[in-house]
Amino acid sequence: MININSILGNIFKKSNLENNNFEKLKISRIDLEKRILRKKTDSGTDIGINLDSGIKLQNGDIIGNDEVKIIVEQIPEKVISVRLKQNNENIAILLGHIIGNRHRPIAIKDKIILFPIQEDSELEIFQRLFKEIIDHIELKIVEEVFLPHTSADVHEH
Amino acid sequence: MTHIPRIGIGGPVGSGKSMLIERLVPMLAEIGYSISIISNDVISKEDADRIRNNLATKKGLLPENMVIGLATGGCPHTAVREDPSMNLAIIEEMEENHPELDLIIIESGGDNITTTFSPILADYFIYIIDVAGGDKYPRKGGLGITNCDLLIINKIDLAELVGANLEIMRTDAERIRKEKPFEFINCKTDQGVKKIAEHIIHDLLLDSQPKSDSLKKSVKIE
Repeated sequence: MININSILGNIFKKSNLENNNFEKLKISRIDLEKRILRKKTDSGTDIGINLDSGIKLQNGDIIGNDEVKIIVEQIPEKVISVRLKQNNENIAILLGHIIGNRHRPIAIKDKIILFPIQEDSELEIFQRLFKEIIDHIELKIVEEVFLPHTSADVHEH
Repeated sequence: MTHIPRIGIGGPVGSGKSMLIERLVPMLAEIGYSISIISNDVISKEDADRIRNNLATKKGLLPENMVIGLATGGCPHTAVREDPSMNLAIIEEMEENHPELDLIIIESGGDNITTTFSPILADYFIYIIDVAGGDKYPRKGGLGITNCDLLIINKIDLAELVGANLEIMRTDAERIRKEKPFEFINCKTDQGVKKIAEHIIHDLLLDSQPKSDSLKKSVKIE
């Protein structure tokens, strides 16, 4: 088992590490929150993550030792995407209020709000919750790497 | 401050959370791991009292003050998910005063829809159900069943009596859990409980030796 206590860099940020022959470690968003995690890479390397205090794994992080370098790859998940048909502050505030009331983390991308779901049946639940503003929004289920807005971290309060 | 690995054990009332702890702790203590237990409940401290009596007072596997009953005054799952501050306060005190501990177990009741442990509170999440809830239970999903690190299906000796088909539960658990593990156990006879201890040692303790072992070694060197 390779012990991991720290992060060497991130492929999406400035990194001095050259991206060649890296093994991949696929991790769900929920498991990325963990401090201790044992998993195998796509090449079968056994990894024991036990992060130092204050460090949290992110999509694209590079971990490893002198012999093996590994890229952390976040697994895409089902999310509901909500698009406002027109710019309307009141509708936007109400939308945020309803999603917040369900304790969902959100991501905002190109004026589209995204939040994760577990099952397709949740679309119907949210269509009902949004009934008063349903004519002003477009809802659909998509699958993508969900990167929650940090202020929406429901575990921090 | 030393971070002591923490397991959250959640599950519906009567599924066998406290019994699992009572069966698991002796196995881990025999290897040498030093353990503390926090039992969350709304107003009662009955589970904590029972665990303390059975594991500490009668068997002497851990000091009596290492079993703590926490009356949350509200839904116990809230105290381990949305606002784990009461549990965290106890843990911080433990980490400061008892760095020799290898493991902290946090027990909390909760249904399959809402129960999950905040990753700030627990490093490893076990969700336990039993066959008496019906063989539909795994396929109904929910946060606990889908997201936990280890799903346990308890009381398999009752399956035939309550008309629960274990093969259906196995197939559904495999489908809904994908590559994540699940185990069938019977706490009354310890059937399958050793496997749970092995998961904990492998996945959470990362195969580390009990801290008391290294203490003994360093004493010998001196």
